Amino acid sequence: MSDTTPPCPAALCPRCAHETIEHITGSPVPGVWEVLQCARCLYMWRTSEPARRTRRDAYPEEFMLTPEDIGTAPEVPAVPPLLKARGRNGYQVTGSSYTP
Amino acid sequence: MVYDDFRGFLDALRKEGQLLHIEDEVMPEPDIAAAANAAPRLGGHAPALYFDRVKGFTDARIALNVHGSWANHALALGLPKETGTKEQVEEFIRRWDAFPVAPEWRENPVWAENTLEGEDADIFRVLPLIRLNDGDGGFYIDKAAVISKDPADPEHSGKQNVGIYRIEVKGRRTLAIQPVPMHDIAQHLHTAEERGEDLPVAIALGNEPVISIVASTPMEYEQNEYELAGALRGAPAPISRAPLTGLPVPWGSEVVVEGVIEGRKREIEGPFGEFTGHYSGGRNMPVIRIDRISHRSAPIFEHLYLGMPWTEVDYLIAANTCVPLYKQLRRDFPEVQAVNAMYTHGLVVIVSTKKRYGGFAKAVGMRVLTTPHGLGYAATVIVVDEDVDPFDLPQVMWALSTKMNPAGDLVRIPNLSVLELAPQAITPGITDKLIIDATTPVAPDNRGTYGTQVRDLPETAGWLARLRQLAAAG
Repeated sequence: MSDTTPPCPAALCPRCAHETIEHITGSPVPGVWEVLQCARCLYMWRTSEPARRTRRDAYPEEFMLTPEDIGTAPEVPAVPPLLKARGRNGYQVTGSSYTP
Repeated sequence: MVYDDFRGFLDALRKEGQLLHIEDEVMPEPDIAAAANAAPRLGGHAPALYFDRVKGFTDARIALNVHGSWANHALALGLPKETGTKEQVEEFIRRWDAFPVAPEWRENPVWAENTLEGEDADIFRVLPLIRLNDGDGGFYIDKAAVISKDPADPEHSGKQNVGIYRIEVKGRRTLAIQPVPMHDIAQHLHTAEERGEDLPVAIALGNEPVISIVASTPMEYEQNEYELAGALRGAPAPISRAPLTGLPVPWGSEVVVEGVIEGRKREIEGPFGEFTGHYSGGRNMPVIRIDRISHRSAPIFEHLYLGMPWTEVDYLIAANTCVPLYKQLRRDFPEVQAVNAMYTHGLVVIVSTKKRYGGFAKAVGMRVLTTPHGLGYAATVIVVDEDVDPFDLPQVMWALSTKMNPAGDLVRIPNLSVLELAPQAITPGITDKLIIDATTPVAPDNRGTYGTQVRDLPETAGWLARLRQLAAAG
């Protein structure tokens, strides 16, 4: 599981300003950079990237996301109705073809 | 020349002076993507790039722009690097005639050297992931061959699919994938999801170069990409069975990721700077769970930059978009001479054709719209005479300048299908399409005052050869 850092202004999501940021991984050379991810909009960044990708106050407006954007995002591709729900001869749902 | 793995092709590029090793230490961002953005600007002989000193990594090897010039595309097909664009397309057409060439099952795949399973199957442990463009939602994998089968007919090898799709890294064991509804994997996923199942997938990265070409070729649903690879290579494509899913994957891949597209699940994805030269995203898209990663020791991460055209993706999907359209048009209309669908995966298609009778060129244009690829692309079709070379854009502009009268030569068809990424659509997925008839009208279509067209003098071809010799000697 990912570590969850406590909310602090420096750790705002650059894209949606959410305060819960998860730590995904760190640099193989210790302490050079971290990979972080917003728990809400799932934006992922490396801390060594330019400010325009890592800081809320420098993040370009055209790439910002709001909770409304996320809530109204279209589904691509649309999830089809289940065959059973469409009444086709009682098709049996079998699950994945392998079980790891 | 046939390559069985990615490293064999990198060696060939190095020997041909087509692989540039960047020896300085670079930042993962923005250096690597910016260099790959810049590389195609070096022209038709732009090299591939190879990085192995990346800040913060101890063991990163990243190759980009591997198909990113006509010289590299020629070498991928085993042709001399000086081979011209049109000649590469013509050779591609000739080799396709040998399709299908069955693949060869081969033991001991190179990617079987190392395995990560379960919680250890962490994509960050294997790939030195990097961001490409400023607005991208994260790190993307955009040059991997994704292999899947039709859940309703899993034994049908023709219905299996090998395709390149955009894949976003969403977590250590989580990816997102974009199955555009016009593409084969979307049909597989649809079948799995209406049954309430997951769709098993294998994702093969770092492939010999013909695999990347066939995986991005718009083939018909029941055509097998490995059988086209055999035809293009002139030798069967070596494949092996992926250990977890049993899916057929290239024998020579650097990395094979296995898992499932989780059925009936969608999650926020993107944006991503796409092949259209525009960002798309902020949509809920399918999610892949990684269950197993196999990889060659010291794996090389092959990546692809795409942005404002032309970048590597434009070279990768140039010839291989022209050829299937040419083949499909010729089935019904042997008068078709050549097809240039090199621009943005065929959102514009230029066709040269002889005319049986008046109105014929428009019929050819309409047939383009109803080819399998045309259903999702071909927003504009330009039809030119048989003596106009569709790859010679000044000639095409001459045809538009003199052969086209908007009064009768523009056919606009409302509300046709187009891929959702096409930014010009009013509603994503639906657009008007345009056929421009820039051919000389023939009877009984007697519009215009064409008289007689000026032709090359009979002696011109001889003089061209003579002048080339003299210029080379001088």
